[in-house]
Amino acid sequence: MSERKRFNVLEHNLVPEHKLLTKEEADEVLRKYRVKPYQLPKIKASDPAAQAIGAKPGDIVMVVRKSSRAGIAYAYRYVTE
Amino acid sequence: MAMSVTEEVGRQISAIKFGILSPSDIRKMSVVEIETADTYDEDGVPIPGGLMDGRLGTLEPRQRCRTCGNTAATCPGHFGHIELAVPVVHVGFAKIIHELLTVTCRDCGRILLPDEKIQEFKEQMEAYRESSGEIPKTFFEHVKREAKKNPDCPHCGRPQYPIQYLKPTTFQESLETGGSITLEAAQIRTRLERIPDEDLRLLGYDPTSARPEWMVLQVLPVPPVYVRPSITLESGIRSEDDLTHKLVDIVRINQRLRECIESGAPTLIKEELSELLQYHVTTYLDNETSGIPPSRHRSGRALKTLSQRLKGKEGRFRMNLSGKRVDFSARTVISPDPNLNVDEVGVPIEVAKKLTIPEKVTAWNLEEMKELVKNGPENYPGAVYVIRPDGRRVRLEFVAERQKIAEDLKPGFIVERHLKDGDIAIFNRQPSLHRMSIIAHRVRVLPFKTFRLHLAVCLPYNADFDGDEMNLHIPQTEEAQAEARLLMQVQNQIVSPRYGAPIIGATRDFLTASYLLTRNDTFLTKSEVGRLLAEMDYDGEIPPPIRSHPEPLWSGKQIFSLLLPKDFNFIGKASICKHRHTTLDEECPVDGIVEVRDGVLRRGIIDRNSIGAERPDSLYHRIVKEYGSAFAQDFLNKLCRILNSFINMRGFSYAIDELEIPKEAEEKIGAILEEAEGSTRRLIEAYRLGALQRVPGKSLEESLDLHIMNELSKARERCDRIAESCFGMDNQGAIMTRVGARGTALNIGHMTACLGQQHVRGSRIPLGYRGRTLSHFDWGDQSPSARGFIKSSFHKGLSLTEFFFHAMGGREGLVDTAVRTQQSGYMQRRLIHALGFLKVEYDGTVRDTDGNIVQFKYGEDGVDPAKSDHGKAVNVQRLVDRIKGRGTRGKPITPESLEEELKAFEDRLPPLLIEELRSTILSAQLSSSAAKAVIDKAVEEYEIAQVEPGEASGIVAAQSIGEPGTQMTLRVFHFAGVREMDVTIGLPRLIEIVDARRRPSRPIMTIRLDEEHRKDREKALRIAQDMVHTKVKDLMKTAQYSVNLEENSVWVELDEEAMKARGITYEQLMEAIQIPRTSVSIEGGILKIKSQDIMEEGGLRKLGTRVVNCYVKGIPGINRTQVVWEDGEDYKGWFIQTDGSNLAKVIQIPGVDPSKTYTNDLYEIQEVLGIEAARNAIIKEAKEVFEGTGGGMDVDIRHIMLVADIMTQTGELRQIGRHGVSGEKTSTLAKAAFEITVPNIVKASASGDIDELKGVTENIIVGQDMPIGTGLVDIYMSPSGMMAPSDEKSEEIG
Repeated sequence: MSERKRFNVLEHNLVPEHKLLTKEEADEVLRKYRVKPYQLPKIKASDPAAQAIGAKPGDIVMVVRKSSRAGIAYAYRYVTE
Repeated sequence: MAMSVTEEVGRQISAIKFGILSPSDIRKMSVVEIETADTYDEDGVPIPGGLMDGRLGTLEPRQRCRTCGNTAATCPGHFGHIELAVPVVHVGFAKIIHELLTVTCRDCGRILLPDEKIQEFKEQMEAYRESSGEIPKTFFEHVKREAKKNPDCPHCGRPQYPIQYLKPTTFQESLETGGSITLEAAQIRTRLERIPDEDLRLLGYDPTSARPEWMVLQVLPVPPVYVRPSITLESGIRSEDDLTHKLVDIVRINQRLRECIESGAPTLIKEELSELLQYHVTTYLDNETSGIPPSRHRSGRALKTLSQRLKGKEGRFRMNLSGKRVDFSARTVISPDPNLNVDEVGVPIEVAKKLTIPEKVTAWNLEEMKELVKNGPENYPGAVYVIRPDGRRVRLEFVAERQKIAEDLKPGFIVERHLKDGDIAIFNRQPSLHRMSIIAHRVRVLPFKTFRLHLAVCLPYNADFDGDEMNLHIPQTEEAQAEARLLMQVQNQIVSPRYGAPIIGATRDFLTASYLLTRNDTFLTKSEVGRLLAEMDYDGEIPPPIRSHPEPLWSGKQIFSLLLPKDFNFIGKASICKHRHTTLDEECPVDGIVEVRDGVLRRGIIDRNSIGAERPDSLYHRIVKEYGSAFAQDFLNKLCRILNSFINMRGFSYAIDELEIPKEAEEKIGAILEEAEGSTRRLIEAYRLGALQRVPGKSLEESLDLHIMNELSKARERCDRIAESCFGMDNQGAIMTRVGARGTALNIGHMTACLGQQHVRGSRIPLGYRGRTLSHFDWGDQSPSARGFIKSSFHKGLSLTEFFFHAMGGREGLVDTAVRTQQSGYMQRRLIHALGFLKVEYDGTVRDTDGNIVQFKYGEDGVDPAKSDHGKAVNVQRLVDRIKGRGTRGKPITPESLEEELKAFEDRLPPLLIEELRSTILSAQLSSSAAKAVIDKAVEEYEIAQVEPGEASGIVAAQSIGEPGTQMTLRVFHFAGVREMDVTIGLPRLIEIVDARRRPSRPIMTIRLDEEHRKDREKALRIAQDMVHTKVKDLMKTAQYSVNLEENSVWVELDEEAMKARGITYEQLMEAIQIPRTSVSIEGGILKIKSQDIMEEGGLRKLGTRVVNCYVKGIPGINRTQVVWEDGEDYKGWFIQTDGSNLAKVIQIPGVDPSKTYTNDLYEIQEVLGIEAARNAIIKEAKEVFEGTGGGMDVDIRHIMLVADIMTQTGELRQIGRHGVSGEKTSTLAKAAFEITVPNIVKASASGDIDELKGVTENIIVGQDMPIGTGLVDIYMSPSGMMAPSDEKSEEIG
């Protein structure tokens, strides 16, 4: 239809900010909550938002949610196949 | 004195392992082999070796079990067994057997995978275990699929043949030569025996607890007689249990088969008997197996065999394991009693004499206990049992000399005494939809036969007194009583966790009374004041009378003020005030501004908005929050007592002549109705002429209905307003509605003005098959009165036809209620099962039973809605006002130093709260010390409002969403929106959301446009037009194309209007039809497609079908569009609303602003925007359901958030139900208790699953405390502390 650039889903109003964590940051999260990675909520590697930030299985993604209760809330998702 | 510790050391079941019994296990646990198909001989003595053999246990009360020597009460029962003459397939496992046969070699038994592959899969399994703690189901599926691919065994090289599974228990193997043979159970068994353990593990089975050959039965266990007791009818005829009947069949056939085999009977007979045995064993296990007729009783009733005993609502799991019968409970009719305290329950003496509480005899209550024992069970305050320290129970009913027992009473004895005033009792009304359906009350023993409760607690129970019954439970242990007192009492339940505002408050006549009392023209004499104040046990000073001539008189407001705390300040609006105030300082004509200063009601009427239930930010809510719930409970108590006696003094009734309206008003109403009739006549005329404007997406008839309904409902509203204006506050009915006590203005309108249109299925009464509603009207009569419009009021009385229509509408209402309760009940059940095991952990996260995180902080800020102030942890404005009121003057704090102050709390408070503090403090110009005080108090309140670890946040969320579901209307009508799109709303939409349905029943998109297009309607319209999915058939005027054989072409008559509406030109259309070897032309509004090949009619028809299905333009899925103006904060301009949805395509259209484009299809959002967007969409959609039309429900967003979080936890949308969240639980018992009972247990035993009993349901099933809330903690007390020297009069531990 057009040569427009593919729409970046991260710009959508419904999509909160996704951030790929470095190994150190990821370990910090796991330590803080005392969990194994698989105990975190998950996100598929094929998820449009995960693809947009280039997350691969095994990574941990930080989601910065706009919260109507706290202002900002952080959540983490473990990337799975 | 030696303290006897009577508490038994708790034995906990830590896990349950499922598996299959091996034949040797069965033989080992068996006490007798059953060889006789009989039960009893002529004398009624069990036949040895028969199905009722005495070694299986005994049913006779005084006989002893032949195995263990216990009586029926203590003998646990013992299994027997039947040696089957031939092996028999277990139906439950048939599917698994088939699977195993197809993936393993028929000769060597190895899995049909080469060694490398096996190694590879093993490594994968290890990797899974490492990375995710468990092996996904899909992995085993994959292994099986791989194995099935091999035509030959990679291990022994022998060819494999496909095996067909014929339900329920037959397996057929194809032969090389063609044709097939049926595999015998014995053959299957030997094949299964050959499968090595290692290979089974790779397939997801646990060989140690479930060898596959055990799935083919050789020995059948016979359950003890207690499982299948025989009953003796009054007539003396013995009747056997269904299971016994079935076992008799099995034993009989088994014996015959054995004899045949032993005597060498022909194979045919043997085969037939084996098949019969298979049938009997199959139906014994499951009598609802598809493919075979159910086994029946002589009377023709299908037998209830093992599966049927477990399954369903009446099955073992749901009936007996998830819900248990209890002692120390009572049930009777309820009735109201305003003289009771809110936290009391009136218990009839008769009940109080039956329900008992064990009380330890101590030195302090010895005399009292002696008295009770003397009174015995018959006389009220008495006792029923005495338990001696050695554990012997004495039943006082059978004791001749109670005097003597009383004398013997010593500390250390336990007396089970009658209920008395002040005891704690748990009171409950079904359906228990939320936690306030079960509240602890203090007992008040009263005469007569009903339970009595205060009217303020009717709302949480949803109780009325038209025959409702309620249940009462008496907690027995000190621990349970303490828990009930501290956590479950009425004052702890005032604030609903659903929305963080009071759910217990003044209702009905209390509100009427409160209005009457606080009216400015209410004056009370000295004796009246005395009576009222005595009612609340007031012992303070009485304020000076407001008037002293002719006698001293007090105002009602003065009396009300006496209830308020002295430092209380409040300003708000009353319900009666419909006036639009710009500020609350403004004078109100109806005295509708409530102002309390320093505990004195300065002005304003106290009504529902101030003291009613379900009103956030009311005067009462402020009292609850600021003075604590115990104070609030006392306040409510006193208030209700005063109001009760005041309205008793004054009197209140609603008379029939108060419904009369003045003649002029009646004439006005008549005129309005006439006018409406005129305009409907015009509409009908227009409809007849075909000039009626069609509502988009609706047929002409529907449009007419819609227009008329719109017209008539407007007319009725005008009538209501006229009637309303006739009544002042001297009309008792108007008082009740305006004050919020009972009814609405609509009800008054119905009684006095006009009843209005009656509806059936959302539209006017349908004409039906015969073309008229009733024979009183002409055929096809569309006039209002012929289609269910009622001009009369209830006061005037309905005409015959009107009455009939009213009954039609009324019936629908009843049906609707019945359907709704079912639907919402099921939704509630699913929510509870899907969320029930979630709890808040000590680190503030919400996790499931396996420790998987669902939320990182409960509700994102960790605040418990039940402890919040309407959802917020801290009411900053109120806090600032309060501290300002204390009058610490000083220079306003500077923004910089405030910033400094706030910075210190950055990691203790959520950003939103800090922001609110900052702006509120600055705008209030607080001094720096006041600001500090505010911040400190805010931190304190925020920390108090945090959820407690162990909180069952899942259950609270499920209840908070399920309970309002019951109140929502199933179908909501909206007349205002003739132009609006039809959206599914209310309960059906909510169910759709939690179902995570693939496609909503009404997909709708909201398409926002970019800067350029949103300003210009024409441009927006063009985009909208281009979007509509159009095929040639959408542009046809006639229903069919025609075939012109002469011209060898297909003709399509075009609908010019449709072309224009969709913005399609001839050129575009012709271009769209790209069929090879044809030519397209348009002549005189007819599209002609001429084929270059000469064709028969059939060929042309084929071409025609192809033509009409030709795609012209638009996006698939988009059926209709509408351009609407939006005047919002972050969007101003035209946007497009569509019927139908296709997010992926729409966001690519130039001119569309993709970032603000939205659909209500959750799956599309997940696919296009990802799981986080889907989570937000669930929250948004569910919120709209509760807030929007038909909702009006106040639900804290935290509950919705939790549902959204669990639905998106795995990265994919999961349904709340058996195909989603509930189906993926780790606990077998929890899954079995929810829906698919038997298959779940079968699966668990084949794979040797272990249920670790970590969830709620599982622990209820096995009868243990659940690891949630108070079940999570134990109380430990060191014995050294207990035995400390008693000379110190320290606090005694009760």
